[in-house]
Amino acid sequence: MSPRRVVITGCGLSTAAGGELQQFWRSLMAGTCHIHPLRTPSQVGLESAMGAEIELTEQELGSVEVGSGDGERGRCALLASLAAQRAWQDAGFRANEEECERAGLVLGTTLGEERQIGDLSQRWPAQEFSAIDESFFERSDNFRLAALIARALGLGGAVMLNATACSSGNAATAWAYDLIASGSSDVMLAGGADTLTRVTYCGFSRMSALSKSVCRPFDRQRDGVSFGEGAGLLVLEELEHARRRGARIYAELAGYGISNDAYHITAPEQSGEGFVRAMQQALATTSTALDDVSYISAHGTGTSYNDLGETSAIRTVFGARTSQIPVSSIKSMLGHTNGAASAIETIACALALNHQAIPPTANLNEPDPAFGSFDFVPGEGRAARLTTCLNLSAGFGGFNVCLVLKQAP
Amino acid sequence: MSRTQAGAVSMPAQTVPIVITGVGLLTPLGDTLSALSGALQSGQTAFRDGQPREARIEDFDAARYAAVRGMRVYNRTTQLAICAVKRALDDARLDTSAELGERAGLVMASTFGHLDTLISYDRSLVSNGLARTNPALMPLALSSAPGAATALAFHLKAFSLTLSDGSAGALDALGLACRLLRTGRADSCVVVSAFSPSTELSQAAFRAGIITASPLASADGGNDTGFGEAAVALVLERPASAEARGVEPLGAICSQSSRFANDPGERWLRLGQACEDALQGSQLGAGELSLLSCEAQLAGQGARQALERLLEGSSAALTLGALLPALGETLDTGGLLQTVLALDQLRGDRSEAAGGPRKHALVCAASHTGACSALLLARG
Repeated sequence: MSPRRVVITGCGLSTAAGGELQQFWRSLMAGTCHIHPLRTPSQVGLESAMGAEIELTEQELGSVEVGSGDGERGRCALLASLAAQRAWQDAGFRANEEECERAGLVLGTTLGEERQIGDLSQRWPAQEFSAIDESFFERSDNFRLAALIARALGLGGAVMLNATACSSGNAATAWAYDLIASGSSDVMLAGGADTLTRVTYCGFSRMSALSKSVCRPFDRQRDGVSFGEGAGLLVLEELEHARRRGARIYAELAGYGISNDAYHITAPEQSGEGFVRAMQQALATTSTALDDVSYISAHGTGTSYNDLGETSAIRTVFGARTSQIPVSSIKSMLGHTNGAASAIETIACALALNHQAIPPTANLNEPDPAFGSFDFVPGEGRAARLTTCLNLSAGFGGFNVCLVLKQAP
Repeated sequence: MSRTQAGAVSMPAQTVPIVITGVGLLTPLGDTLSALSGALQSGQTAFRDGQPREARIEDFDAARYAAVRGMRVYNRTTQLAICAVKRALDDARLDTSAELGERAGLVMASTFGHLDTLISYDRSLVSNGLARTNPALMPLALSSAPGAATALAFHLKAFSLTLSDGSAGALDALGLACRLLRTGRADSCVVVSAFSPSTELSQAAFRAGIITASPLASADGGNDTGFGEAAVALVLERPASAEARGVEPLGAICSQSSRFANDPGERWLRLGQACEDALQGSQLGAGELSLLSCEAQLAGQGARQALERLLEGSSAALTLGALLPALGETLDTGGLLQTVLALDQLRGDRSEAAGGPRKHALVCAASHTGACSALLLARG
């Protein structure tokens, strides 16, 4: 039985570049960097810190659908819920309609509602166990993020929460793809969400992997990650199902490749062999020739290890074609949004195919010569003829995902 | 997709079974399936005086089970998971340290497995400051950490995933693993879950009414239970892979289905739908079941009625919340415990009921957050 074809019919975002798709795209193409000094760096445990923060308007806050008995939403839940609603509406669906009965959701996150742990830590010295109330159990359960979305939209199909660190968004999209391709569902929401957290800021600072200014993916002077908060959700749909209802199709999600470094709990394997296996599997399982690939959305965190390993892997797979394939990292503009990052980047790829244009790598002054010859699309985006895009991601522990997106059929 | 095959991935129907070739488990009632089954059959409980809300594995020493570099840095949940996986891999006679590693993956069901490390790390940041906090703790504070560490321990290089679906997570994880194996992403996959409640989590669960203060005092077991510590791992393989290695399967997974209940009132309806979907996925009816096993938080008459309706006309046995009085609430791990016990029962079923011994069991679970999952098993 051939796999059913899966297309992207809805996109929803909460990012520092905005939540409205055209606004987001214009900002990316202009190379606008949204990484600034944090308004309250103490919330991430540092005296000063940079990051890409989202300012939610009162209108946006008021627009979040709430199911009965939901209780208060934390920051991560707000961002995820907003993005999910936007994606669902963008696809032309309404909450609680018949379509929702078998529709499902796969959501990814790294730390979920981490701030409640932070609240506990603040109150612990004075209160200890008295600081734990009856809502702590539910709020500590990251599945709640998915449940809130599912309840608001009335989804009755498979609802899952996946935690694969910085590959969570791509992993969620891959599992949703499988559920549709195998016939278990016709419509799935998929993506990821994360907020700015003390744990990641302090952790990366302690590992000397947090940029002192803004991240500079692929730059000779790159000095680490910049973080952002955000959420990205996509509506994935079986192709014929989408055609029958006259849905707008952004792109086809042709398939994916996955691998695990199993090398170190944090550091990527330096030759990039895990990335290589993920890309090769993605190309083989989607019948994509090397010459077909017209753009690669890199994981591109701006750390010394990641950028070196990732470019090495791209060179291993594409060989002499490497310098002809534009490679860019939008983390240079949005920061690293952890579990949301690869989902937001998938949306960027879908928009790129739609607009036939490539977003740039911002903050890139001088590419590291150690990478060899690459086109990192520095500064501003540009028009391009695009047929097939790859979206790469890697998570702590070494889990790699490569999604393959193709022009809408 | 095999290593040499290129081209599009074919999507076999759910009727293609995935076989189970190894089991590893650690529980307060034993660390082998026979010990656990025997303890359950004799009515033992893991709850002890002095540990009213938690049933712990006594004298647990990870080094007895597995020699893994860096083990002592990991929290108890991760250590339990690693030990369960070691036992499962040994049971399956599978050595992943060599080239098999690239064709072997891991799926972990863990909702709270990282929580104690996260709390400890953040508390240290607040109390001691950044410079005096152990940097090695941060990566282990992520929700993906227990799974990542376990995959690292055994060189599982095909994939390493974590699902956090609460009590439905283990069955969802088995379903995910089956899909990945059917589409050729690996030849074998370890599915593991481990649960060891932190003090903070126990306190929170007690305040939320998830567990009770005195499970020993609950005469009928019902919904009054404490947390139970456990770790279970299964090795899943594509049938051709198991056959090539000359390993006889313990059982097979035929199909799996998940549903979501939007409000507590429809939880048993959705659970029933998930069970029906799983049966339809393998084109079977309830009449071909010998067992329907359900573990669900706050299960009661509503669950029993919904599942009895599903079994109308079938002679299948229904067990509901059977593990709670003995092992307590094990959250994510419950689904794997149910699965191994159902397999054990299928293998031991030599009934002379009309039509001969039934060959299938249906295992289902529902979390208090609405996730519902069902898994159809076949005897090996």
